[in-house]
Amino acid sequence: MIITKEEIFKAISTVNDPEVGFNLVEMGLIYDASCDENMKAKVTMTLSTKACPLHQMIVQWVEEAVLRELPTVELAEVEVVWEPMWTIDMATDDVKKQLSGL
Amino acid sequence: MAISQDFAPPFKLIAPYFIIGVISFVISVALLFGFDISSLNSMDSNTLSWVHMFLLGFVMMVVFGAMAQLVPVVLEVGHFAVELYYIIYPLLLIGTILMAFGFLFSPALLPYGGIVVLISLLIFVLETFLTIKKVKKFNLVMTTVLVANTFLFLGLIFGILMALGYAGTINIDIISLLKAHIYLVLAGYVGITIMGMSLILLPMFWLSHSFSWKPVEYALWTMSVGVTWVMLSSILDSIVLEYAGYNLAIIALILYFYQIYLIYITRVRMERDIYLYSLIFSYSSLILALIMGVIYLVYPNENLLLTIGWTLFMGYIAFIINGHLYKIVPFLVWYERFSPLIGKQKVPMLADMVPVRSAKFQFAFSSMGVIMAGFGILLGIDGLFKGGAGFLLVGSIFMLKDLMFMINFK
Repeated sequence: MIITKEEIFKAISTVNDPEVGFNLVEMGLIYDASCDENMKAKVTMTLSTKACPLHQMIVQWVEEAVLRELPTVELAEVEVVWEPMWTIDMATDDVKKQLSGL
Repeated sequence: MAISQDFAPPFKLIAPYFIIGVISFVISVALLFGFDISSLNSMDSNTLSWVHMFLLGFVMMVVFGAMAQLVPVVLEVGHFAVELYYIIYPLLLIGTILMAFGFLFSPALLPYGGIVVLISLLIFVLETFLTIKKVKKFNLVMTTVLVANTFLFLGLIFGILMALGYAGTINIDIISLLKAHIYLVLAGYVGITIMGMSLILLPMFWLSHSFSWKPVEYALWTMSVGVTWVMLSSILDSIVLEYAGYNLAIIALILYFYQIYLIYITRVRMERDIYLYSLIFSYSSLILALIMGVIYLVYPNENLLLTIGWTLFMGYIAFIINGHLYKIVPFLVWYERFSPLIGKQKVPMLADMVPVRSAKFQFAFSSMGVIMAGFGILLGIDGLFKGGAGFLLVGSIFMLKDLMFMINFK
């Protein structure tokens, strides 16, 4: 059984950023995701700021969400990267609209 | 960069700092009713009692609580011994009460209060230094922590010398050392700490990106040189060095204000919440105090000097601290109480934990109070000042109520 990138993104979309209230996928914080034949999922993501006090916790929520929403996945691994740096352009139009108060 | 959850101190350790801090704020506002504007001066016992209750009981208490949480975030290492924070706040509280009470009723208490405060600050600064020692590579914000704590340490040495002078152990000019002590602690520690922490907190809460950090870098070094010059002026008894130091501080604050403006215009979160209102009032007070500071250098006047102090303390510092409490406290409570429930049940968002209506009342009463009382000081009208203090007292009680609401949110 193959797990697609879209399925992993959908699983991660159950995780909300408690400060802004949007999920990590619509915020544009999830850069890539894949799952190999050993059912090991790998997620590449960033955070909106390097000094995020929830850094480790958000990583843990992403791992837990993948394992919870996709029970066939055996292992979930998250890599946090800072390149490219996150900007609001990576968020969905709806997020941009709501954040800007339009 | 990886922030370990293990680095985060428990909320029960930090909560007393914020609760005692805001109670001290309410008491400091109540003390304003003992002022007589017509005879007020910066060395009056009522003024000194209020200054110590405000600066030690409120500002230092809340800053230390925030640093217990922020130092590991900023330095990317765990505290050397976070348990020491359990003794810092009781000592600081006892020392503050002794000093505030001593200035009003019994000067004999002052050396004891001063020593207890100094021990408390010394424990804080040594713990921070030992934590900083673990850092391998410094960035700008880490440097601000190092520089600010170095100034606090020097300020404490001056404080100890003053205490020895009071006790008659050594023969020194206490008034001259007092100037350096105040400047090192207030501009050197509180000023630079606020500069450094706002670089972390403002872009984080406003989601600001792609702005230059150069203005604050220049501000940091300019402020550091200015503080050093004022410190040296008290040793060398040089008025030229002293005023040159004040001028550098004004330049540093202008540069810092420009940095905040850059962060503000590059923000992507536009919501108009209590945090935004508080920060706008705070930074507007800063710029107003700077303008009055420049006027004072040309036309020195005691009422103007007191108004500058009032605007900086109650406008700039109080609003930046209280505004941040509406962000930091919900986060800490949420982290402790709700984050373990993620994925198991529906949890509130941070914004749900802020009492919006009450926070607006707090802001309205407090800002009205600061403006009214400020005019009262400037024009020397006692009734106007007391009226402003009345508004401010109501605002500070709302602040305490809001804090307790956020802490007890379930």
